[in-house]
Amino acid sequence: MRRRLRREVLFFRLCTLPAVLVTTLVALVPLGLLFFNSLKNQHSGAPSLEYYIASFGNAFFMRTLATTIMMAAGVTIAALVLALPLAYLLARRTALRNVIMPIITIPRMLPFVVIGYAMILLLAPMTGIANRVLMGLGILSQPAFILFDWPGQAIAFVYTGIVVATAVLSGVLMSVDPQLEDAAISMGATRLRAFFVVTIPLAIPGIIAASALIFTSIVTSYAIPVMLNGRVPYMVSLLIASNLLTLQQPHLAYAQAVIVSVLAIGVTGLSQYILLRYGQNGGRK
Amino acid sequence: MSAITETSAPMRRWTFGGLFGTGVLVVYVGIMLIWLLFPIVLVLLASFQGRLEVSLSLSDFNLDAYKAIPPAYWEAFWFTVRTALTATAVALLIAIPAAWAMVRGKLRGRRIMSNLVLIPDVVPQLILGIALLTVFIPLHLNNSFAGVLLALVALSLSTGLRFTEALLEGLPEEYEQAAQTLGAGRLTTFRLVTLPLIAPGVAIAALFIFMQNLVTFELLFFIAGPNASPIAIRLFSDIVDRGVLPYAVAMAGVLVYVAMAFYTLVAVVLGPKYMAGSVMSRKG
Repeated sequence: MRRRLRREVLFFRLCTLPAVLVTTLVALVPLGLLFFNSLKNQHSGAPSLEYYIASFGNAFFMRTLATTIMMAAGVTIAALVLALPLAYLLARRTALRNVIMPIITIPRMLPFVVIGYAMILLLAPMTGIANRVLMGLGILSQPAFILFDWPGQAIAFVYTGIVVATAVLSGVLMSVDPQLEDAAISMGATRLRAFFVVTIPLAIPGIIAASALIFTSIVTSYAIPVMLNGRVPYMVSLLIASNLLTLQQPHLAYAQAVIVSVLAIGVTGLSQYILLRYGQNGGRK
Repeated sequence: MSAITETSAPMRRWTFGGLFGTGVLVVYVGIMLIWLLFPIVLVLLASFQGRLEVSLSLSDFNLDAYKAIPPAYWEAFWFTVRTALTATAVALLIAIPAAWAMVRGKLRGRRIMSNLVLIPDVVPQLILGIALLTVFIPLHLNNSFAGVLLALVALSLSTGLRFTEALLEGLPEEYEQAAQTLGAGRLTTFRLVTLPLIAPGVAIAALFIFMQNLVTFELLFFIAGPNASPIAIRLFSDIVDRGVLPYAVAMAGVLVYVAMAFYTLVAVVLGPKYMAGSVMSRKG
């Protein structure tokens, strides 16, 4: 009997083996090597922390990192504020949901590149539709170069952020019982007050999860900063890529990649921790 | 249920403030709709007009841009479909037994194992791509079908395991226990009871993983090359090298049709309510 059990455990272990093996070889080992190499001098191979010291001591890197974080945080907040009412309406009005769901789902199934093309068609200085309309109306006398400055990138990020936030938040808000709001209203609260005092606190876990998602995806996004020509602001992913590919400083790039992943994973981990710690009684004050 | 909600809901009072609020909401929803729709509409309009200055006149409607799509784009497109399909199939073949063993086997260290498999989903794709590049160059796996496939399998595996684990956890163990009481072995039970019960969920997971593989960009950017370039990366490098071209916009239009067709497929099969929430992975 005991032997049979052991054989069964062995069989179960065997079933999980391919999954563990693939992930170890394709994710764990490369990531470990990346970390290991970031701690080694590129030429002599001697262990050193020089690339981390160089990164943290480099004003340009720190400024880029700060810009990236500020951009990601600003976009996350803007996307959440803009998407929250829409998500709420979607969660409560089935008819509206059936109309809008395809509109917010299809952009999520498009590569960022397609969104980038659309942004160029909208905002490009000469051919872009926004500039031509504004100039046609006489509001602008010469084309505005929004695309090749930070607003162009911010607009593109806010677009994808809204799409993600609407999808995630409408799912979360659907699980908030509408009778709780009705109870608040029947006791004299206005609909708006019920929304802020009852609904939003109950949806906090979803809001935290959505913001961590949007934040991390912006911090490490590469396609949009390059397509919308990110010389200003220089996002940190561009810096890493140019260190790796053009400047031939791979080990410096590895160290910076480690710094960025620690940031991204830290934000995700923090959101998970908050959810576990406070998610159970979130809002029930 | 709805009757109860209606009777318990307070009476609507039509005040000036209420009307104003409704008006603001309608305007807001309208603006959001336009905002959400504009990329798709602009890309489609530009693709049918064959130039980048989009106009609203219907007279210059033509298919020139679509006809001008170079064969290299179609190659990249079919390359993407091939890798995405293979990666989805391989990942599910690995993920289903693993999830089954983890959930039903109650193995020690199960949490560690499932967290390990989730690594490719947690680590930023850009970073994983860089890490893979350094390993793939000495193995000559960069710029090859196998390299792209491996990267996609690792990503799909973590999505697939999350899906299938949730499916199996939601499935009461009683059915399988009943089959085993009647004398079926573990494998027979899995084949005849468990698999048919989770099959619909697995089909949905396969659809989403496939779509996620189609749009993956940052993970593959560094390991792709001229011999192995998914369509998103081909479009991206063309915009960097040559600027926006009408036929590239037409190809972007084709990708919009793929997304639309996929949505229709899922909505018809499942009903639109399944699209809410965070079913889709984030980096789409």
